[in-house]
Amino acid sequence: MNLPWLDSRLARRGAIARIARTALGVTAVDALLAEHQSSFAAEPLPSGTNIITLFMRGAMSHLDTFDPKPGREEQGETGVIQTKTPGIVFGESMKKLAGMTDKLAILRAVTTQTGAHEQGTYLMRTSYPQINSIRHPAFGAWALHAAGRRPGDLPGYVLVGNGNDHPGSGFLDPALSPVPVADPNAGLENTIRPAYLTEENFERRLSLAEKVDRDFKASYGGNQIEAYDRMYAEAVRLLGSVDLEAFDLSKEPESVRDRYGAGTIGKGCLLARRLVESGVRVVEVEVNGWDMHRELFDELPTKAAGLDKALATLLDDLSERGLLGTTLVVLATEFGRTPKINENAGRDHHPAVFSCVLAGAGVKGGVVHGASDERGHSPDSGGISVADFNTTVAAAAGLPWEKEFHAPNGRPFKIGGGGTPVREVLA
Amino acid sequence: MPTTPPPRPLLVALLVAAACAVVAPSADLAAEANKPAAKRARAAVPFRLPAAVRDAPDGASFAVAPIDRTARDSVRAAAARIDAILAERHARDGVAAPPSLSDSQFLRRAYLDLGGRIPTHDEASAFLASTDPDKRGALVDSLLESPDWVSRFYNVWADTLRLTERPQKNLWSEAYLDWVKRSIAANRPYDEWVHDMLTADGKLWENPAVGYQLRDQGMPLPYVDNTVRVFLGTQIGCAQCHDHPFDAWTQHQFYELAAFTAGTRSGTGGKPEKPVRKEMRKGARADTTDATAKNVRALIAESRKRANANGTKVNNAFTQFLQANGTVVNFRNRELKLPHDYQYDDAKPEEAVAPHVLWGEVPEEARGLDGRAQFAAWLTSRDNPQFARTIANRMWKLCFGVGLVEPIDDFRPDNPPSHPELMDHLAAEMLRLDFDLREFVRIVVSTEAWQRRAIPYDATTGEAFSFAAPSLRRQSAEQLWDSILTLVAHDPWAYERPTGEAFAAAVNLDLSGKNPGWEAAHAAFERYEDSQSPRKTRRQTMQTYGYKGQLLARASELPTPLPLGHFLRQFGQGDRETIDGNRTVATVPQILAMFNGPITHAMLERGSTVVDELAEHDPPQAVDVIFLSVLSRLPDAEDRRLALGEIRGATDRPTGCGNLIWALLNTREFLFIQ
Repeated sequence: MNLPWLDSRLARRGAIARIARTALGVTAVDALLAEHQSSFAAEPLPSGTNIITLFMRGAMSHLDTFDPKPGREEQGETGVIQTKTPGIVFGESMKKLAGMTDKLAILRAVTTQTGAHEQGTYLMRTSYPQINSIRHPAFGAWALHAAGRRPGDLPGYVLVGNGNDHPGSGFLDPALSPVPVADPNAGLENTIRPAYLTEENFERRLSLAEKVDRDFKASYGGNQIEAYDRMYAEAVRLLGSVDLEAFDLSKEPESVRDRYGAGTIGKGCLLARRLVESGVRVVEVEVNGWDMHRELFDELPTKAAGLDKALATLLDDLSERGLLGTTLVVLATEFGRTPKINENAGRDHHPAVFSCVLAGAGVKGGVVHGASDERGHSPDSGGISVADFNTTVAAAAGLPWEKEFHAPNGRPFKIGGGGTPVREVLA
Repeated sequence: MPTTPPPRPLLVALLVAAACAVVAPSADLAAEANKPAAKRARAAVPFRLPAAVRDAPDGASFAVAPIDRTARDSVRAAAARIDAILAERHARDGVAAPPSLSDSQFLRRAYLDLGGRIPTHDEASAFLASTDPDKRGALVDSLLESPDWVSRFYNVWADTLRLTERPQKNLWSEAYLDWVKRSIAANRPYDEWVHDMLTADGKLWENPAVGYQLRDQGMPLPYVDNTVRVFLGTQIGCAQCHDHPFDAWTQHQFYELAAFTAGTRSGTGGKPEKPVRKEMRKGARADTTDATAKNVRALIAESRKRANANGTKVNNAFTQFLQANGTVVNFRNRELKLPHDYQYDDAKPEEAVAPHVLWGEVPEEARGLDGRAQFAAWLTSRDNPQFARTIANRMWKLCFGVGLVEPIDDFRPDNPPSHPELMDHLAAEMLRLDFDLREFVRIVVSTEAWQRRAIPYDATTGEAFSFAAPSLRRQSAEQLWDSILTLVAHDPWAYERPTGEAFAAAVNLDLSGKNPGWEAAHAAFERYEDSQSPRKTRRQTMQTYGYKGQLLARASELPTPLPLGHFLRQFGQGDRETIDGNRTVATVPQILAMFNGPITHAMLERGSTVVDELAEHDPPQAVDVIFLSVLSRLPDAEDRRLALGEIRGATDRPTGCGNLIWALLNTREFLFIQ
């Protein structure tokens, strides 16, 4: 990728380093610059793979999207559509994706143990069950930890969504937690300094804050304070970035914005493409509203069509820009929904089987792995755990999924949770 | 005293004028120097802060139940008993107590934890200057009977009860939220308050307590799960679907408990049913003999008919208005059956389940009552130890940042309290106080332990917390917002959430008798839209109380959930869909909001509390004023040197003051409660 602003960015970096040094103290700056070295200096990354995850929160129904059961009571009101792959049908809202199954790996027999949103989401994001005695890092934080962030002042990991209930960096360096963007349309907010505030005065303010804080910092330490120290440093660094434009969707032609579609899913996918293009390694787009306990057949068609449009456009767009070969795209959710339709015309939580989709770098397209039974209730063949799924993602992304990493308390963890990757879907 | 040159008239004039234009130092400043100060201020650029918040404060609109000051001795004695239990344990464990809080540190923590905000400059000065030997006790008492306490405590319950104005399209809960606020203001005993919520009947704005049962409308099993979690600190949720080898509860026990409240109905008039959906609704609870539901259905059908005839679309807002008026909570004993896929040997699928409590028994005096009343009586009984323990633990965590049992909704035999003797004592105290939560808090904050410097603590290290002092906490999202608001608004109570009475008057349409007819119903809807509907009132509200798109009101008065990009959400306020959803995780956008966000700009505007405070004091006192206003303390020698250096070294004095205010706001000292 040609990045014409590289020279001015390097010059800018000097300015930021200067500000940060005077304002935040030398150690903070050194820590920042040290991030450019991977913590595993001895292990060069085989592929510079980016990862875009689309996380459908609330539990996306598998039966109305990627694993319908036509002709049965369980089908409900959702029609089906033939895909490019013989014998494989999708829910009728997934029109564009149906025409691209040669690029997709569909996993129809993912299975999990929990039907509770908080626990299911945590498990899918960290590959480990949620327990009180440790905070596991999210997959994206692991990816950065192993592969490092790309050179530049943009963060290595961005979340389009709510950063407060995201596992974040867990027990890893707080700087590996994703920068949350609440609204992809608004981008990263509060990055413009008021006209009256010169850079010199901004520097003075930061420096003053640091000095007034000396007594407090001498008296109190701990993870929380450290995390905020890191965030202050990251914020200053980000403010100095010439690449902040990457967060600005208004820079895209209207035709492109229309192609992706409206709403968080459309805007989020477009933002993800821009960020990956500008050097952000990991992007997660969180989309709420899938928890359809009531009136599912009224709510789902629009939502699924939005997903279809956004994801299909994202894959096409990445391909056109030559990025699909180095970008892994993941579509996931925390669990599935019941084959039996409830008395409010909705479906309830269903951990036993659900669907996820992979595409892009490291993925073999045109594959359907695993099958659910005739009702869509349980895995019939090719059942895989959430850890197996995430380990497959790690393998596709070229991350060291077999390696044992140790938390500060000494416990061993693996990227992807120590599962077995599904060879069938790996390129 | 710092050695500054005696202020010359020109310098004073410049400072006053410039302090009024800190944000945009005017090029005309020198020209203005000859005008008298007051005139200069008035002739300057119009205020950007709305007048309503710049006005002198006239407090909140509601009264708060007074504190019994004569009880102070007994409060101290009760606090001493807690200290004694802790001291014994600390001696055994070899725990050293941190130093006691200075007056400044106590002042700040008391205002934040009991009032939800930092003190104003004048409040801080007054406290620090006071020579009353019991000024700390006096401060605690006055905070606990102030509207600030109500605001603070409301935020706590809003997070736990997932308070939101429109939990579903047909649930208009404004009156319920106001009712929670007023219950706190009246200091309703907790057990009675909970009992009300569990047993109320009627429409949301006629008997607002029904809002609790309606929060999980249409989900009777999660309702039981959530209720047991919040009020009994016990997780039975997994048992909703299956037995689990590690959990104490079986699916059968879950259903036995749920059988008590299975007959709760909300009689919502629904949409006319499409043929295929009617089949799916076999066994649905909608009771078509209910008059209200019938009227709602008829009126919605009429709307549809008229829309078809005119070739227009149905007005969804009107439909929702009808449904909101058609939501009436009532109870009729009803059998609960096991699910169709029940897989265990102890019963058959679809078998009816007899109601049975999880432990203990339904109090004798309640046994003749309906299922819902029996459940409520059992749950809130003084003889149900878990009820008192759960709330005692929650209140302890509110004050100390950590519960004796963690997580606070997961009491289990294999998760015992870290300090069992203290847990027992606190539960007993809760009973002794007849569930007066405010009095309980009053006692806890009067302990020596609470008045010591905070201890950093991370639960995931696996270490137990000593409770020799509170844990070091970041301000909650609401405390932070309210604190910055204190620096902005002379009158932070200018805007308050709508009262339940006002809302009821505007929205109510009686559908319980004869059908009033479509015309009358639609006229009532239009009246509501004109007076109270959020859409219509929002513009007016923002004009009067808004600044750069932000409604300048206390967090407790803002409509929820707020958009994800709002300051409060960025700093961790939950989406009100998760119980106890508030978080204090650090993110970059939070810092950007503190650096450049609208609320920070508001603080530096002419007419803000801190800028006006500066204007009222002579320049040498500027440093003290700023430190007291923002950090609630006086600067030490080094602080003073730095601050004066900044003010003198900056391009001009106002810029220096602005830099100093901003800098103090962006310290960790400001963000955390020590």
